[in-house]
Amino acid sequence: MIKHESIETNAGLLVVLTLIVVSIGGLVEIVPLFYISDTVEEVEGVRPYTALELRGRDIYQREGCYLCHSQMIRPFRDEWLRYGHYSLAAESQYDHPFQWGSKRTGPDLARVGNKYSNEWHVAHLVNPRSVVPQSIMPNYQWLLENDLDYSDVQDRMRALKVTGVPYSETQQEYDSNVAEFGVDVADQLDILRAEENLMQQALANNYDGQHGRITEMDALVAYLQMLGTMVDFSKYDEGYFTDFR
Amino acid sequence: MAQTGIGSAEQYNYEIIKKFAIMALVWGLLGMATGVYIAAELAWPALNFNIPEITFGRLRPVHTTLVIFGFGGSALFATSYYVVQRTCQTRLYSDWMAGFTFWGWQTAIVAGVISYVLGYTQSREYAEFEWPIDLIILVTWVLYFTVYIMTVRRRSQPHIYVANWFYIAFILVIALLHIFNNLAVPVSMFSLKSYSLFSGVQDAMTQWWYGHNAVGFFLTAAFLGMMYYFVPKQAGRPVYSYRLSIVHFWSLAFLYMWVGAHHLHWTALPDWTSTLAATFSIMLLLPSWGGMINGIMTLSGAWDKLRTDPIMLFLITSLSFYGMSTFEGPLMSLKSVNALSHYTDWTIGHVHSGALGWVAMVSFGSFYHMVPRLYDTRLYSTRLVYVHFWLATIGILLYITAMWVAGIFQGLMLRSFDDYGNLAYTFVETVVFLHSPYVVRALGGLFFVSGVAVMAYNMIMTIRKARVEAAELDAKLAAKMARI
Amino acid sequence: MPDWMLWITSHGNSKIVALLLFFTTFCAILIYVYTGKERGVRLESYKYMPLQDDETDLNAAGGEEEMHESGKN
Repeated sequence: MIKHESIETNAGLLVVLTLIVVSIGGLVEIVPLFYISDTVEEVEGVRPYTALELRGRDIYQREGCYLCHSQMIRPFRDEWLRYGHYSLAAESQYDHPFQWGSKRTGPDLARVGNKYSNEWHVAHLVNPRSVVPQSIMPNYQWLLENDLDYSDVQDRMRALKVTGVPYSETQQEYDSNVAEFGVDVADQLDILRAEENLMQQALANNYDGQHGRITEMDALVAYLQMLGTMVDFSKYDEGYFTDFR
Repeated sequence: MAQTGIGSAEQYNYEIIKKFAIMALVWGLLGMATGVYIAAELAWPALNFNIPEITFGRLRPVHTTLVIFGFGGSALFATSYYVVQRTCQTRLYSDWMAGFTFWGWQTAIVAGVISYVLGYTQSREYAEFEWPIDLIILVTWVLYFTVYIMTVRRRSQPHIYVANWFYIAFILVIALLHIFNNLAVPVSMFSLKSYSLFSGVQDAMTQWWYGHNAVGFFLTAAFLGMMYYFVPKQAGRPVYSYRLSIVHFWSLAFLYMWVGAHHLHWTALPDWTSTLAATFSIMLLLPSWGGMINGIMTLSGAWDKLRTDPIMLFLITSLSFYGMSTFEGPLMSLKSVNALSHYTDWTIGHVHSGALGWVAMVSFGSFYHMVPRLYDTRLYSTRLVYVHFWLATIGILLYITAMWVAGIFQGLMLRSFDDYGNLAYTFVETVVFLHSPYVVRALGGLFFVSGVAVMAYNMIMTIRKARVEAAELDAKLAAKMARI
Repeated sequence: MPDWMLWITSHGNSKIVALLLFFTTFCAILIYVYTGKERGVRLESYKYMPLQDDETDLNAAGGEEEMHESGKN
């Protein structure tokens, strides 16, 4: 007969049993997510970030934006009217780490891309109350003052490549990106051309409104303007997405 | 078997406990003060002062890290080392290992806080430490496990007391969570920046498996260990039911690990996962309340202690808040309630009714019991304990009431429509509404942190008194020796 | 992946699985813990452990009389 006393007089047994008991929940809930194909939808258009967007995303994390802004629209009517189509798992499949957030002190940003002009974003980030008088967001004027450091952007992309993001270094990897995303995107995913691409995207779009300089503002606005714009929802029947829920 | 109070200072390693206890108070004061400051930033954004290092986004992880890992963690190290030595009636396995856990842990806290204000964060809530700090924590934790288990193994008692089961489960689970949630690829060997190994939906699930079980085992199971020792000791009576504690332990350990996904209701996480999590969240009510009943009923037949003993008042009130927040939690994990409460301040209020009401209050009670014994003296002032108790209770009530109002009304405003089916309020209109609750919340926090300041004063005076008494005793002994 | 794992993950079955798992474990522990008078007395006797460590206590909150009960077992 097994007695509870045998557990409480034996530290090793107590440790082993506790480990077993606490492992079951996590195993059942997490492991299948990596194997079930229904977990992430198959949609066209979702691509890894360009070098500039990636640096913008790093700044988004650095400033702790995720603590007040979610990037996860829920399937409710009010959220649909306020933010747009509910978020798909596919839309954050290249997010290391995810930025879904847990609190909306400010509005959701999952589909903020292309909603406002670059000028609005710059004005808003420098002084939110200049465009939204009741806002309680801090000013981020240093984004406009700091030159963007992109010296290690290739290292960053390589690290992400290790986690599984399809940035390319070899001709073969480049070719498979061309097949999957098309030439334009594949060019942007090329690690060897990262700095060149970054400068080109920043200077061509001039997100921060300052000529000749690449600031942190360029990167952050580039990231924000891309959010939620990758999937063309008019291409899909609504029933398609509900099958994955 | 029994030891006298005088002998225990040599028999046990009390020095390490004193260090951790003092640091718990230091981090508690700092962390809660930071909390008040960021609460004020939300009410009056001018307090961000255009300084990157002190904006809300960078200070918020400073607050959570200082209170959870600085205050809570140090309190757990202190009490677990105390409880394991006293219930096993043996000295800690290794003094240098225990010393290492102190310096390792404090280094991680300091390095974490500095790195956050400089903008280095994994941006995973409650796991913001970047990879080098994660490694320091890992080493510290392995040594902690070793010290703890080896101390238990050389106990002079045949049985391992129930408080130790909870501490052991806490150490094991935090190791599991820490390792799997922090899997990341550094940008380079010389860069603090890293990217998490998982992405999107899998990353979200891993993070909230971590996030909720950090609550479950760091902030609950471990503090239940504290409860199972200090409530009976302070009451001078054994725990209400040992059999209930067996059921409590195993069901809590089993159920908690399933519920993390209730933080991801209505998201892109597949429904089956969050439904499962909600189901287990409801079932978790049973062991939670079982534990609460076990703690409170320990006082059955001696309720008058609540009138005469402010330490008991702290412990029993903490259990009441534990009961309240473990009822509120399952309620909020229901999908329909969560649709309203998620993303709002209701969640913040819920966390704080647990963190201030349960975690902090049970720690205060335990410290008031433990610190005088560590220094072999009596508490400097019982009246100040009452002052602390009322400051803390008023603070918590203000805080959670403000957050209920803020969360529920914001949730209702955001989902209300006018007669034409359009949204009745813009987002920023709800932000305007939140101003008053945010002011009240900051005030509640201020009450709470003043209580901790009173406690810190009381502790300093207690330690001073102990030093004076020890010096007097030495002088008397010396005089006696001289006469001979 | 084996079929049983697919069965677990399908939405309709997950609650049943969870309940089955929970109840078998829970009931087994309950039956063990709360049946048998002797076992009950024996298990309850372990709760005096934390009260056995010191007798002279400056801060004792008047719990001395209960402490002697531990001797009964």
